[in-house]
Amino acid sequence: MPDAIIEGIRERVAAAIRVNQSVGIQVPENRHEGLLEGIYHSMVSNERDIWTFVTVSKSFDYMAKTFKETDQYTNIKFIDCVSRAAGISTMHKNCSYIESPVMLEKLILEILTNFKGVKQDADKYVVIDSLSALMIYNDPGIIREFIALLMNRSRSENIHVISILVEEEMDSNKLIQLNDKIIILRDSFID
Amino acid sequence: MPIRKEVCSTGIEELDLKMSGGIPLGSTVLITGCSGSGKTTLCMQYLFHGAKKGERGVFFTITEPLFKLTKNLEGFAFYDKKLIESGMVNIIDLRIISERLGLEAEKYTVEDAGALIDILKDIADELDVKRLVMDSITALCYRLQTREMIRDFIFKLGTSLAVMNCTTLLTSEVPPQTFKFSQYEIEEFISDGIIFLGDLERKGDLIRTLQVIKMRGTSHSRSKFALNISSQRGIELIPLLKSTEFESLLKR
Repeated sequence: MPDAIIEGIRERVAAAIRVNQSVGIQVPENRHEGLLEGIYHSMVSNERDIWTFVTVSKSFDYMAKTFKETDQYTNIKFIDCVSRAAGISTMHKNCSYIESPVMLEKLILEILTNFKGVKQDADKYVVIDSLSALMIYNDPGIIREFIALLMNRSRSENIHVISILVEEEMDSNKLIQLNDKIIILRDSFID
Repeated sequence: MPIRKEVCSTGIEELDLKMSGGIPLGSTVLITGCSGSGKTTLCMQYLFHGAKKGERGVFFTITEPLFKLTKNLEGFAFYDKKLIESGMVNIIDLRIISERLGLEAEKYTVEDAGALIDILKDIADELDVKRLVMDSITALCYRLQTREMIRDFIFKLGTSLAVMNCTTLLTSEVPPQTFKFSQYEIEEFISDGIIFLGDLERKGDLIRTLQVIKMRGTSHSRSKFALNISSQRGIELIPLLKSTEFESLLKR
């Protein structure tokens, strides 16, 4: 169960993403897993919302073990950017795999494809976990360009973007500034 | 009011958008790229898309056997076996035609090449095709023995295609990582358009790219796009993230 802080951040994210196209969440490593748990709870609690969860920091196998029943929800699709590059060849029906986390254009295409054919009135969300993990594989310049392209396409398709940044994994926090709203999760309180 | 030219939609939505709706009708377009760049898939998507709209097409292959070609298409959403069975998409192995004409498989004379062009034209006329693909012009020219013969053949082919009532894609193979449009450097002169399929190395991974170099008779984007071949959806395009290209150039 999420603790009080995570419960708080879940509510903050849910409220922020309703009014903003994109929300960036900066989180310390020791709160990262709890934050994911909170977001996952939001994803499964309203099956009318359509979600795409992009996993870069961990493989989908790990996510499936942690959150369980990931294949039960038809409103959630996963995109795994690290398994293939790590030599993991498992396949899951609600997860698509990108060969390498440097194939950023392919990642955007997969995200957009996941939302094709979705009902007009459905709320659409994409979660990037995390921008800092993408920075491990890519140069900062290309990540900035990736975010800008993703934001522009998402705006035109009315998709809300939630991007996570793990404090300890990043050199600068400039990337998160590209979001409409920023939430900073400290070790013990929310900014 | 500007005169709107009739265009031939490729079946790749983003590519059509870059060319103001598609390839101008009756054009001959060179699809150039290295092995694995997506030339054959692009051409097949173009043919099946046309067939679904009622435009008959023909695919002349000289590089791959028919069974292999159709097998590779099976996973794609654009592929429909019924369109082949009904004759809306015709896939013809040029090597079999050559054999029937009594031509030596590996070497063509000027007369052989001329006879082959006449046969291609007859087939296209008889089937009343609106879309024609030749895969590949490089492999065909490889069977001609001198540069002069190749040049004559290409010009004769260009003249024949120009009077045919169809929109043609000619594939051209070039070595990887080169910005060259053809093997013999004359194929581009008989073409109204050139679509270049390349690849770009990013941190050791190859990213496929597409760029419309020239397309007579329509305004078009000359930007480079990232190309993805989805096993279901076929060819998809998205703007290429430019930082990569800059880094790649620095390395060179």
